Amino acid sequence: MSAPYLAFDRVTKTFGDLAVVSPPFDLTIARHEFVVFLGPSGCGKSTLLRMIGGLETPSSGEIRLAGAPVGPPDRRRGMVFQSYSSFPWLTVGGNVLFGMRYRDDLSSGEKRERADRYLKLVGLADFASAYPNRVSGGMRQRIAIARTLAAGSDVLLMDEPFGALDAQRRESLQVELRLIQKTDAKTVVFVTHDVEEAVFLADRIIVFSQRPARIVSEIDVSAIFGMERPLALRDEERFFHARTELLRMVRHTAGVDP
Amino acid sequence: MSDEAALTPVARSAASPERTVARAVSDPSDFKNLFVLRGRPSRQAEALVALLACILVIALWEAAARLKLTNPIFLPAPSTVAATFWQMATAGDLLYHSGVSTLRVWVAFLLSAVLAIPIGILMSSYRIVGAALEPIVDFIRYLPVPALVPLSIIWFGVGEETKIFLLWLGTFFQLVLLVADDMRRVPHEYVESALTLGARPRQVLSDVAFRAMLPNLVDSLRITLGWCWTYLIIAEIVAAQSGIGFVIWTARRYMKTPEVMAGVIAIGIIGLVTDQIIRAIHRRAFRYL
Ligand SMILES: Nc1ncnc2c1ncn2[C@@H]1O[C@H](COP(=O)(O)OP(=O)(O)O)[C@@H](O)[C@H]1O
Ligand SMILES: [Mg+2]
Repeated sequence: MSAPYLAFDRVTKTFGDLAVVSPPFDLTIARHEFVVFLGPSGCGKSTLLRMIGGLETPSSGEIRLAGAPVGPPDRRRGMVFQSYSSFPWLTVGGNVLFGMRYRDDLSSGEKRERADRYLKLVGLADFASAYPNRVSGGMRQRIAIARTLAAGSDVLLMDEPFGALDAQRRESLQVELRLIQKTDAKTVVFVTHDVEEAVFLADRIIVFSQRPARIVSEIDVSAIFGMERPLALRDEERFFHARTELLRMVRHTAGVDP
Repeated sequence: MSDEAALTPVARSAASPERTVARAVSDPSDFKNLFVLRGRPSRQAEALVALLACILVIALWEAAARLKLTNPIFLPAPSTVAATFWQMATAGDLLYHSGVSTLRVWVAFLLSAVLAIPIGILMSSYRIVGAALEPIVDFIRYLPVPALVPLSIIWFGVGEETKIFLLWLGTFFQLVLLVADDMRRVPHEYVESALTLGARPRQVLSDVAFRAMLPNLVDSLRITLGWCWTYLIIAEIVAAQSGIGFVIWTARRYMKTPEVMAGVIAIGIIGLVTDQIIRAIHRRAFRYL
């Protein structure tokens, strides 16, 4: 097993007297791994993700990135949200450029070049001068992804980023995200409550209990499907099988939650 | 001509405006919609109804005055008011007084804005500022401006300062809370995205949060500017020698009701025009919405 790149070390989190993460939570994530947090809504997935990003601090314990405890948010850990993910007052290209606004190590020429590269990578090159309200919801999520990549994030933290999209857009974005993650060599932590999405995307799925968040099980998806995730995988028997099995497990842990 | 071919489509489409105009005026479904519960909006039909309603009200008023159903001292005919207005604007010095009032309103308004924008932003951005200022602002905003006229005279005398102060008082505290609210409504996601893109807190405020609140801020400013005009009369009856409020108050003393009404209409027109201009700027500047 590769060295722990990202590590939760006996982390707990309470909001007032609401215990969201307890008992102490341990998890290690390898570099360039695609990890999916799957669990019923309200179980604490977002809270865990936000703690990685520095948007919340653990009540106790520590989160380490490349050996060092994580501090306040910075551009190494980029966040992609479900809604309000792109800035409406900037064009698509402007949004991607904004990702590099606080990078003094790049000249403006280099920034423009990088912006073009990432716009192309997410398939938005033709929409660079459009405003986000003129493009589809799926494209708006691509803007956010490109912006975060352009910023130079090592870890992509994605909180149900495709949750508001229709099924078709969602599928094609999943395929693309998986490709992007391999091309650009990123570590991804992806939160969802959609079993099929988890199975399709993940190298490893962490299944959570209801709140307070505990790990119910871990599934090594790459051991089943390998690294490549073409759209056609969805039609394969083994995909159905894995999905059904996971669905059963989730239903079981979720208890009353349908 | 060589580009006759290029003109053909223009010629063809020239026939259609006629049709659309005819449809716009007489499409019966447009009017039927007006009577349906939560019916579809139909702009032209609604504009027509609004115009007719205005004409009806003015006509009734005119008729009542002409038939001597009302005492002209209390309710002069609209035609008389209009004639007086025109006479005051062309021969009299209504324009000068309007200018003076506009200047006062804008000075007070800008003073309010310049102070309220940063304070309101900080109130919603840092708990310490909000906790310290919110109760004070909330209290003062309920103080009735007219009741503060004597205090204002004690402090500032009867010159321009008092007038500006009263206008400022009526708007500043309201505007602070509006600005604070605009800032509070900026989605968390924008702020947190910026933080994870490497922005420092101050950069988040200036580069993202302020930019995100801007359309709402402009709306808040527009509304506040309107309030300034409503406080103008209070400010300008305090020993003023100029301004629309002074015109109205002087006319009242001699029971020149048409002049009182003309003054009120002048304020209404200036307010409406300013409001429409700001709305137009808003539409143009925030096309991305
Ligand atoms: N800032 C906060 N203050 C208080 N309670 C919170 C806060 N953030 C999340 N919670 C609560 O913590 C629990 C877990 O929330 P969250 O991590 O968003 O769950 P999930 O993402 O799995 O749906 C929920 O009950 C939620 O109400
Ligand atoms: Mg969540």
